[in-house]
Amino acid sequence: MNTLLNIDNLHVAVGDKKVLNGLTLQVPAGEVHAIMGPNGSGKSTLAHVLAGRPGYEITAGTVSYQGTDLLALAPEERARAGLFLGFQYPVEIPGVNNVYLLKAAVNAARKQHGLPEVDAFDFLTLVKEKMQLMQIDESFLSRGVNEGFSGGEKKRNEILQMLILEPKLAVLDETDSGLDIDALKIVANGVNSLRAPERSFVLVTHYQRLLDYIVPDRVHVLVRGRIARSGDRELALELERRGYDWISQEAA
Amino acid sequence: MSAASDLLTARIAAEHASALPDLPTSVIGRDRRLQAIGAFSARGLPINRQENWRYANLHTLHHARFTPAQPQATLEPSALPGEIEGYARYIFVDGRFAPELSHHSPHPALTIFTTGTEDTAQHIAAEQELADNRLALLNEAFATDGARIVAADTAHPTCIEVVFVATAAAQGGASYPRLQVTTQAGTRLGFIERHISLGSEANFINAVVNIEVGRGATVDHYRLQQTGAEATWMDTLSARVATDGTYRLHLANLGGQSARSTQQISLAGERASTVLNTVSVAGRLQVHDVFAVIEHAAAATQSEQRFRGVAAQQARVGFNGKVVVRTDAHGAVSRQSLRGLLAGPQAEVDVRPQLEIYTDEVQCSHGATAGKLDENMLFYLLSRGMEPEMAQLLLKWAFLEDVVAKIDLPALRGQVEHALAGQMDDTAALRELL
Repeated sequence: MNTLLNIDNLHVAVGDKKVLNGLTLQVPAGEVHAIMGPNGSGKSTLAHVLAGRPGYEITAGTVSYQGTDLLALAPEERARAGLFLGFQYPVEIPGVNNVYLLKAAVNAARKQHGLPEVDAFDFLTLVKEKMQLMQIDESFLSRGVNEGFSGGEKKRNEILQMLILEPKLAVLDETDSGLDIDALKIVANGVNSLRAPERSFVLVTHYQRLLDYIVPDRVHVLVRGRIARSGDRELALELERRGYDWISQEAA
Repeated sequence: MSAASDLLTARIAAEHASALPDLPTSVIGRDRRLQAIGAFSARGLPINRQENWRYANLHTLHHARFTPAQPQATLEPSALPGEIEGYARYIFVDGRFAPELSHHSPHPALTIFTTGTEDTAQHIAAEQELADNRLALLNEAFATDGARIVAADTAHPTCIEVVFVATAAAQGGASYPRLQVTTQAGTRLGFIERHISLGSEANFINAVVNIEVGRGATVDHYRLQQTGAEATWMDTLSARVATDGTYRLHLANLGGQSARSTQQISLAGERASTVLNTVSVAGRLQVHDVFAVIEHAAAATQSEQRFRGVAAQQARVGFNGKVVVRTDAHGAVSRQSLRGLLAGPQAEVDVRPQLEIYTDEVQCSHGATAGKLDENMLFYLLSRGMEPEMAQLLLKWAFLEDVVAKIDLPALRGQVEHALAGQMDDTAALRELL
């Protein structure tokens, strides 16, 4: 089995608070893994730590990505190595154009791999094609990053960025939160269009609903900073019926 | 007053007494010059301990000579910034009109008053009841040439550019740009005003601009302060806006060692409105300071004030924006958005909104922030693979662009953007944005 992401005994603290307490997880290439769990269980912390957000202290454990030490890389190096974080709350950046950011992101990765910059015309054609898939309005092209977007538009924009960057590992942090059912289908459709044998997804989600549309290979339940139970998609359905309490009690 | 500033005030009066016989009485009469220096001497130079001068760098004044400079260099027209299409350009060098560099034909709306021409203009060191006119009095006392613009054509917009070039060293003498702008009822004026330096001397410039916006008239005033790295630029601007008139000011404050602008905008007639957009970018040991007062003196008047300032290295950027709503100004609407960005551990940003309201039924909002780059924005860009230096630069750029984008003359906005990029030390990295 070709493991793309290997998290071993990861301990993470924010200030004095221990948030992850010995998390261990392997994600093989080509698989979709869902991370579920009650509020405050450490799901978003895991997503942020993988992307390299400052403010988290790694107190023990290792994270290996494509066989290299992920934690030794700066956030921008992780991105160029093919890791993508879909934000739960994408930030608005007025004055930085959407397309400019996309192009800068693509060119940063290409430069890393010794490739020339993308052709501006071809790139715009690609962006427009993917925008259609994500049902994003043309006016997007001239606007600032997420500027004035609704919650749903911001999430669709995250997936649009993912479609254009074609990462090896996509970590999507509660991409389903705040979406109505139509937007959820559009987002799921975008994710599914990118599923491939060499690409993996980590879906952080609170609800089972997303997994009706993006069928995961594995489901993990995070409780108090470690994985309390793993299973296939049946586990997600069971959580839907029974809630999280029984697993929390088991874990205790 | 401090002892040092008392000495300087006395030295300025002495300089004036010996310069007076050579100052052109046709530009400003001898009596008016004497009145101005008398009024100035009675009050003395501003000092930092005075409330509205706290952020200014006034030290450089001590090294300056206040007597008007003699122009030093001969200028090549190619050294001047690119012209903006449709705008007739007139040039002053060290406070003196330079016809050989200016637009070949006189503009019907423009009068240059210089030695030998009669100045029929009124007193233009406008009474700034709310701000401060002390430096304007010095301009009145020492001024050489000046210009008056009268927009009278209601059918077409009047478009004029005036460039003030400083070449002389401050120890050799000062330059006194002086402008009076009047717009008659229903006219439109587009007016570009630049202050630049040529050569590497530490210039001393003390400008006065007075603007009367007539009934229903509109003035778009674009000011670019791009004086040299060692220059001291002092400025007093006053504007009075009549009923239904609109005054929009765009100020890009970029150059100078010490740059201070004192502004007073009075919304005198009903429904008069003003928009003040200011960007200020300072590095090294530069000090930029703006004190802007907007007075709502009539009903249903509107004002908007936006400021974006970036201070890097050891620079200091200050913006003091005051709004006064008088008892008669029912239904006044005032908005202030003042934001400063610290781009270096030793930099300083001082942003100060002030609001004085003397009536009910007004809508006043203000927001003021001074801080570092937003960590969430920065991380978002890094998470997309952008280099940290580039991400920071881009966010600084976006911060300024919020206000720069409101310059509605594309060619001029392009020039301002290039100047900002140059000031931010990384034109190459920003080239795709320009």
